[in-house]
Amino acid sequence: MEVQKVDMFIMSNGKFFESHQINIIRDRLIALDDSKWPMLSTAQFNDPTTTLIVSILAGALGIDRFMIGDTGLGVAKLLTCGGFGIWTIIDWFMIQKATREKNMQKIQQFM
Amino acid sequence: MILDRNKLYSILFIACIAGYIWLYFSVTNEITEIKSVEVCLIKYATNIPCPSCGTTRSMISLIKGNFIEALNLNPIGYLVTLIMLVVPIWIIADIIKSTRTLFNFYLKTETFLKKSKIAIPLIILVIINWIWNISK
Repeated sequence: MEVQKVDMFIMSNGKFFESHQINIIRDRLIALDDSKWPMLSTAQFNDPTTTLIVSILAGALGIDRFMIGDTGLGVAKLLTCGGFGIWTIIDWFMIQKATREKNMQKIQQFM
Repeated sequence: MILDRNKLYSILFIACIAGYIWLYFSVTNEITEIKSVEVCLIKYATNIPCPSCGTTRSMISLIKGNFIEALNLNPIGYLVTLIMLVVPIWIIADIIKSTRTLFNFYLKTETFLKKSKIAIPLIILVIINWIWNISK
């Protein structure tokens, strides 16, 4: 793919990924075929900030985990009152990383 | 956090052990009757019980054999009891045989629960249970 296009993609979507993964994504995208671009440009990613807000407000119900697609862990969190309140607090700090990793999993389907 | 077999098993195992310790504490010390000890963040902050508040009390009455009282306190108690009985045995069996049946079952359940036909009734059930829980 054209370097300009890839740089544009990285600029607008960089916040959805871990900083150490961005270089890998960039290299892979440049090597990628041009026909994947329409799919890639319309892909939806979860915003880590939004999940953090949801985690603070409704983390005890596991809504943050449901949002990023971890349904099983979400159910576990819901049934245990947010993991006895401890898991809720841990997730306030972990959920942004988890969201970025989920986004990485998603973009790997295209690459 | 990308989930693999060992990560899931350790999370579930720690959760089950924590549950058993908490249950043992509650049974021996009647800790749930003391108002100042609340594990639930929502109940602690807003005084409104969350959907799964009452699970401990429900499980204690299950242990004592009061099945109807357990259902009245919180039906989720039955579900949690079932999970806490089955999961540790399943994990140990999986580790001994070095298979991954529980992990595969978990992934299958996850995709099953994500279907909107299944998810929406379950969400409504949880909300009904919550309303019932608040009105108790």
